[in-house]
Amino acid sequence: MKILVIEDEQALLDSILSYFTGEGNVCEYATNFESALEKINLYNYDCILLDLGLPGGEGLDILAKLRKLNKRDGVLIISARHSLDDKLTGLDLGADDYLVKPFHLSELKARVSAIIRRKNFNGDNIISFNEVLVDVSAMKVTIFDKTVSLTKKEFDLLIYFLSNKNKVVSKNAMVEHLWGDEMDLSDDFDFIYTHVKNLRKKLIEAGAKDYLRSVYGIGYKFSDQ
Amino acid sequence: MRLSANYNRVNILTSIITLAITGCIYYLFIHAILTDKLDRDLDVEEDEIRQYVTAFHKLPLPASFIDQRVSYTEIKPVAMERRFAYTSYFNPKEREEEPGRSLFTTVTLGQKMYMVTITKSRVESEDLVRVILLITLTVTLVLLLALLMINRLLLNRLWRPFYTILTRMKSFDVASTADMDDEPTKIDEFVELNASVNAMANRVRKDYRELKSFTDNASHEMMTPLAVINSKLDSLLQTETFTEQQGALLEDIYHATGRLSRLHQSLLLLAKIENNLISDVQEVDIKELVEGKMRHFDELFARDGLTVSADIAPLNIKMSKFLADILLNNLFSNAVRHNVPNGDIDIVVGNGMLVIANTGKEIHPDTRLFDRFSKSTASEGMGLGLAITKQICNLYGFTLEHKNTGDKHFFSINFKLG
Repeated sequence: MKILVIEDEQALLDSILSYFTGEGNVCEYATNFESALEKINLYNYDCILLDLGLPGGEGLDILAKLRKLNKRDGVLIISARHSLDDKLTGLDLGADDYLVKPFHLSELKARVSAIIRRKNFNGDNIISFNEVLVDVSAMKVTIFDKTVSLTKKEFDLLIYFLSNKNKVVSKNAMVEHLWGDEMDLSDDFDFIYTHVKNLRKKLIEAGAKDYLRSVYGIGYKFSDQ
Repeated sequence: MRLSANYNRVNILTSIITLAITGCIYYLFIHAILTDKLDRDLDVEEDEIRQYVTAFHKLPLPASFIDQRVSYTEIKPVAMERRFAYTSYFNPKEREEEPGRSLFTTVTLGQKMYMVTITKSRVESEDLVRVILLITLTVTLVLLLALLMINRLLLNRLWRPFYTILTRMKSFDVASTADMDDEPTKIDEFVELNASVNAMANRVRKDYRELKSFTDNASHEMMTPLAVINSKLDSLLQTETFTEQQGALLEDIYHATGRLSRLHQSLLLLAKIENNLISDVQEVDIKELVEGKMRHFDELFARDGLTVSADIAPLNIKMSKFLADILLNNLFSNAVRHNVPNGDIDIVVGNGMLVIANTGKEIHPDTRLFDRFSKSTASEGMGLGLAITKQICNLYGFTLEHKNTGDKHFFSINFKLG
């Protein structure tokens, strides 16, 4: 995957780059309006992460420029502005998704993966991880050609893990992903444990290896290493 | 009460009182003057009788003219006071009693003493007073009526610019950018009022814009470091080289960061609702939304062993879908958060109402549930959920009520349909 990160906050940029780099991903970055324009003019990307507040220009203009160039790069807007208007304008201009700061890197990765999947496999939206095959559009999981029946939340959780394989995903991020970030409900996220436990049990029963493990009670890691 | 009505009331009341008092005084004066004239006529008559008695040593004949009668009665020679009195006068021509004025006096003829009574009819002077009074009253009434009409017409016309300005002030919208129109008027006070109102509106708009851009900037500036903290925590988590104790510390930081960003988003949302900055008003299917929320909260209901019963009729409300979602989210969270283990939640939708009832601890009736940052000490929330709910209801004119009977809490929203 080739990804361009347009973000002016250096610290945030570093985190995003280090999270995305590896596993065959190539990440490039731009920290201002000019260099961003230059990059989108010269190259094609699978996905562009676009911050709206940029020095030197308005992020939405980059989006407009991209559409003018007739490029099919996926675009995910990341913005500190929690404004419905911005969101609608962005999506109208052809952005694929909109993520409000602050966000979890795992959430960002999941969204980017979803965009790239949609772009690359038209209609044939399948994630594979060793013996685990997930048909995202049909919401079907098969292990060694056997169908595993999962609940909606377990399915979402599995895709989330697969998008963030070999990464530690925090329980906070999982709760926000499954229930939304305006869910000001509880600081007790232990009930996520039930879902993870069920998912893991179902996968193992279907013959998959045990890929899920807990990391110091903070989160979980889906990995075959 | 309108200004003109108020002014008219005062004006007419004082006019009537003044006119009544002056009328009385006027009547008394004219009456006194006329009586005085009658008395002088009676005096002249008395003089004539005395002169006659002195000249001829006998009494004149008791005479009866059209409006005057003289009579004599012999009395014992005692000292009798000469006096005037109101009496009645029998008019022989009209054959009726008329009001009269009499002078009782005495004359001495030789050894004998006679009481002389001279009576004059008062009817003419009474008539005069009555006519004068009638004319005065008529003039007064006409004057009052004229005053009233002038006041009404003139005041209405004079104050018209004021009411126009008032209407414009009422429809003033701080978020709109259109300028307020000038109202053409020649009255200095209104010109000044108009100018002040327009200046104030512009000032308010300017302040509002500044505040809005400040909020936007502040939100941006605060969200960025929060985003950095969040991403660094996520990155730190990937290193996986920490101890159990460090893990626990990390988890606490995660929670605090999560709360901080939620708090910040809630505050921004409140400000946005207050300023009516959310505009995606559409027909929202409450039934569908409530059913969706029930699925969404399924795990939470199960976690606390809550029994949920629902009676949901179709209901469509015109509002922002985004806000409708938040509204239900907050009410559901509230019902879960403040519930007791193995408690109940009852949801009723229908008749333009949404009622969510939950079991929970009894609270003090004075608790200001809908205030910002009002929360029970045991609560893990921020105390903004219900404030936001209330604010959303205010925005659309819904009524939000809370009732607490025993261990049951009822939150009801009346969408005020029709």
